[in-house]
Amino acid sequence: MSSTDRGHAPILRVRSAAISYETRYGDVEAVRDVSFDVHRAETFGVVGESGCGKSTVAFGIVDFLGANGKIVGGSINFQGRELVGRSQEELRKLRGDQISMVYQDPMQALNPSVTIGDQLTEVLTVHRKIPAKEAREKSIDMLNRVYMPDSANVMKRYPHQISGGQQQRVVIAMALLNNPALLIMDEPTTALDVTVEAVVLDLIEDLKRDFDTAIVYITHDLGVVARVCNQVGVMYAGEMVEVGSVEAIYANPQHPYTQGLMRCVPKLGSTKESSILYPIRGRVPAPKDRPKGACVFAPRCDYAADKCYNEKPPLSTIEPDHSARCFYSEEIDASSWTPPEGMVPKLAARTGGNGEEPLIKLTGLKTYYKQESKSLLSLIGAGKSRYVKAVDDVSLQIPANQTLGVVGESGCGKSTLAKTIIGLETPLAGEAEFLGFDLTNPVSQRDVKLIEELQMVFQNPDSTMNPSYSVGHQIGRPLRRFRKVPSDAVRDEVIRLLHAVRLDESYYRRLPRQLSGGEKQRVGIARAFASRPDLVLCDEPVSALDVSVQAAVLNLLMEIQHEYGTTMMFIAHDLSVVRFFSDYVAVMYLGRIVEFGPAEAIYAPPYQPYTEALLSAVPIPDPTAKQKHIRLHGTVPSALNPPSGCPFHTRCPRRDMVPDGGGICEKEIPPWQYETEEHRIFCHIPLERLREMEPVVTAD
Amino acid sequence: MLVKDYMTRHPVMAEPSMSLVEAQQMMAEAKVRHLPVVETGKRLVGLVTRQTLRIPPTELASLNVWEITRFLSDLKLEDVMVKHRDVITTEADLPLEQAAQVMIQHKIGALPVLEKGIVVGIITEIDMMTQLTELLGGNVAGVRATIRMPNRKGELAKMTRAISEQGWGIYASGGVPTPKDPSYWDCVIKVRDVSKDELLAVLERIEDQEVIDLR
Repeated sequence: MSSTDRGHAPILRVRSAAISYETRYGDVEAVRDVSFDVHRAETFGVVGESGCGKSTVAFGIVDFLGANGKIVGGSINFQGRELVGRSQEELRKLRGDQISMVYQDPMQALNPSVTIGDQLTEVLTVHRKIPAKEAREKSIDMLNRVYMPDSANVMKRYPHQISGGQQQRVVIAMALLNNPALLIMDEPTTALDVTVEAVVLDLIEDLKRDFDTAIVYITHDLGVVARVCNQVGVMYAGEMVEVGSVEAIYANPQHPYTQGLMRCVPKLGSTKESSILYPIRGRVPAPKDRPKGACVFAPRCDYAADKCYNEKPPLSTIEPDHSARCFYSEEIDASSWTPPEGMVPKLAARTGGNGEEPLIKLTGLKTYYKQESKSLLSLIGAGKSRYVKAVDDVSLQIPANQTLGVVGESGCGKSTLAKTIIGLETPLAGEAEFLGFDLTNPVSQRDVKLIEELQMVFQNPDSTMNPSYSVGHQIGRPLRRFRKVPSDAVRDEVIRLLHAVRLDESYYRRLPRQLSGGEKQRVGIARAFASRPDLVLCDEPVSALDVSVQAAVLNLLMEIQHEYGTTMMFIAHDLSVVRFFSDYVAVMYLGRIVEFGPAEAIYAPPYQPYTEALLSAVPIPDPTAKQKHIRLHGTVPSALNPPSGCPFHTRCPRRDMVPDGGGICEKEIPPWQYETEEHRIFCHIPLERLREMEPVVTAD
Repeated sequence: MLVKDYMTRHPVMAEPSMSLVEAQQMMAEAKVRHLPVVETGKRLVGLVTRQTLRIPPTELASLNVWEITRFLSDLKLEDVMVKHRDVITTEADLPLEQAAQVMIQHKIGALPVLEKGIVVGIITEIDMMTQLTELLGGNVAGVRATIRMPNRKGELAKMTRAISEQGWGIYASGGVPTPKDPSYWDCVIKVRDVSKDELLAVLERIEDQEVIDLR
C-alpha cells in the first residue's frame, strides 16, 4: 500500500472476474479469475503478450466490451459499488465523472474536425455545466499541467496540427479534466518515439502524485512497467499468473512465465557476445484452445509436472504483496535455470571484421525529396523547389560479416537510407559502392547479380507477403528468379531454408494467413536469405512482434548471419535491441549521422548529446537501475527546413558545454571528432568535455 | 499543512436517487462513515453520515411490520441526507487548523472539500489525527522529550541551539501552552540517533527549562 493512502479501501477491487465474448463457436472465455486492487496514487501495471486479455480486463472494468462481450462472473467493485450488472446509463455517468480512459492512438481519441480547445471545454460544459469562459480557463490550466508548450495557442489548433506526443498529452489532459478517481491507460506510449515516451511517462508519474489518481496501466513493455508502476499483474492466456509489487516481481519473479519474459528482453547493459535471449517456446494459445482444468502455461513451461496438466493451480501467496499461480513457485529456482536443448543459438565463429575491405561504403550520400512550391511561378516551371533532406551527407562503411545498427527517432531518415541502398530511392549526390557495384542507380537499372546480393527483411510481414501464394512458392520465387538452384531442386532448397528458420516441411503448402506473426517474419527471413545475399537490410524486423517471439527471431537472425557470413544493416528504434544485435551503431538525427562507432563505444561515454538523450529515455526493465534524467523538449524539426549549423542545436541539452556557450552551434556545421579510428562524434563540444560525462545507465 | 495536503481526494460519493439500502452497503464496503451526495459533475447536494441513516423511531411507530420493509426500501438518499445548505464544508487551500476549528465548533467529524461547488475531497477527524501523529513524529523512531520552558522569547532557540550544537537534528516538534499555567510552555521534540541519557544530559544543562517527560 502506498504511503499516501492511509488505510483507505482500494479505489478499484476486482475479484475473480471472468469475461467472455460470444462468437460463432459459442462463448469464448477471454479472461477468467482475475483479481487485483488499485489504490489511490498507485499505478497498477497489467503486462503480458498480445492475446493475453490485458485490454479485455481494462474494457471490462467499464463494460466497454462491445456488443458480443459480457462479464460472466466475479465482481468489479469501484469505490464500494458493484459495477457488474449496472445499466449502461449508470456506467456512462460514472465514466463521465469518475473513470477516464487513455488509449494507444491519440488520433483516434480526438475529433479531427474540432479544435483542441473546443474538445477540451466540451468535457466541462457538457458534463459539468461549467460556464464556457471558466471551462476555457480550466482547459488552459490543464494543458499547462501536462507541460504543453504555448497552450493558449494550442487551444486554437486542430489535432493534426500538433505532434503525436502533444496529441497524447491533450488526451491525457482531457482525461484528467474531470479529476477522475480512476484512470485506465491502454498502451498510451506505444505509438510514440522513445524520447517522447520518456516525457509522457514522467508526466504520468507527476500527475499520479498531484491528483492522487488510481491508474490501471496496460502495456507489453517490461521497461515501461519498471518505470511507472507500483504494482504489477502479469497476465497469460486470460489469467493473472503473478501479482506483486514491482520490486518483488523484477527481483524475484516466481511464475515460470514471468521468469521467461524477463529472459527474452534485451537489457541495455548487455553486449552482443555476452548475452543470449531465451525465447519462450510455443506461443500463447487462442482463447478457445486454452487448457481447461489445468495450468494454462503448462504446455510451454520447463517445469511442468503431471499435476500441472490435471489441476488448475490457485493464486497462492508467496510473501505479503506477492502471489503467483503456480504449484511449484516455491521450489523453482530461476537462477539455476538452464536453457533446454536447441534454444541457445549456435553461433559459428565469424570471419572477417576489422581491417578488411568494407563490404559497403557510402560517401556523402544525399537523398532529397523534392517539394514543389505552391507559388504561381512553379506552374510555369520557374518556381523555386525546396527539398526535404531525408538523408543528408551520410558516410559510413560496414565491414564484411558485421552488423550495423541504425537508430534514431521517427523521421530521422533511417528508412530512407535503407531505401536508397536497396534502390527504391535515387540519391541526389554522393557515392555508394557495394562489392564493386555502384548503388546510386535505381533498382530497375540494377544488374540482377547486384539484386541477388542485396536483400531486405521488412517490418510488417503481413503486407510484404502475397496472401494468395503458399509459403513454399514465395520462398522459391527468388530461387527461380536468380537461378540459384536447378528448377527441379527448388523444392528441396526451400525446405532446407524452412528448416534453417526453424519451420518444418508442413509449412511449405501453408498460406500466410495460417501463420502467426512470428512465423510470417521467419518466412520473410527465409525469403531474404534464399539468394544467399551478402548484405541484408532489416527494417524494424521485430518491432511488430511480442517479446518472446522477438527474442526467437533475433536469435534466428543472428544464427543465420553467423552461418552464412552475411553482413547486415539493422534499423530499429529500440536501443536495447540494437545494442544486443549490432557490432556497429549509427545514430541518426534529421538525415545526418551524428555518432558512429562500435556498439560498446556508443553506449559508453563520450556520447554525442543526442545519443545521451536517447539512452536516458529508454525504459529499462529493472526498477533498481539508475538512469540519467535527460529529456528532450520539442519535436524533431522539419527536414524541409532544418536548423542551421548543427541540426540538433534547437533541442540540445548540452549546449552549455560548448566553449563559447553554444553560439557556434547555430552557425557552423560541427566537425567530425574521432575518439578512435572507428568511433566518431559529430559535435562542437570538445572530446575532452564529452569524455567527462557520466555513463547514462548504472546498475546497482 | 493545508487542507489539500491531508484531505482524501476522490472520496466515495453517491447520487441523490440511490436507495438507502444500497448506500449503506456501499459505505460498509468502502469503509467510510461520510458520504457526500452529488449530482452530475460532482456538485454537492447533500451529505449522508451513519447518523442520518438512523431513522427516528417516531417515523416508524405508526407503521406495521410489512409497511416498515416497504418504507425502508423506498427511502432514497435525498430523503434522509443533510441538504447542501446545511452541510458545513471547507476549501482546499485553507490551513488545516482552520478546518479543525470548524469541525470542533460544529462538533462534526468530516468536512467535504469544495472548489466552486464541486467536491474535490473530504477531510475527516482521522486525517487530522494523521497530521497530529506526523507533527509529533509518531512514525519515526527516536527519543521523545517534553520540555517545560518559561513562556517568553528566546527559550525555544536556547533548546534548539543546544541540540544542534551536538550535531543532532530535530525530526518533529510541537508546542502548546502548559495546561492550567499560561506562564509556561510545553514543547515536544523527537530526536533521532541518540540515546535517552545523552539527550537528557544535554537538555538538563539548559537554564530555566525542565524535562518533564522522556521516552
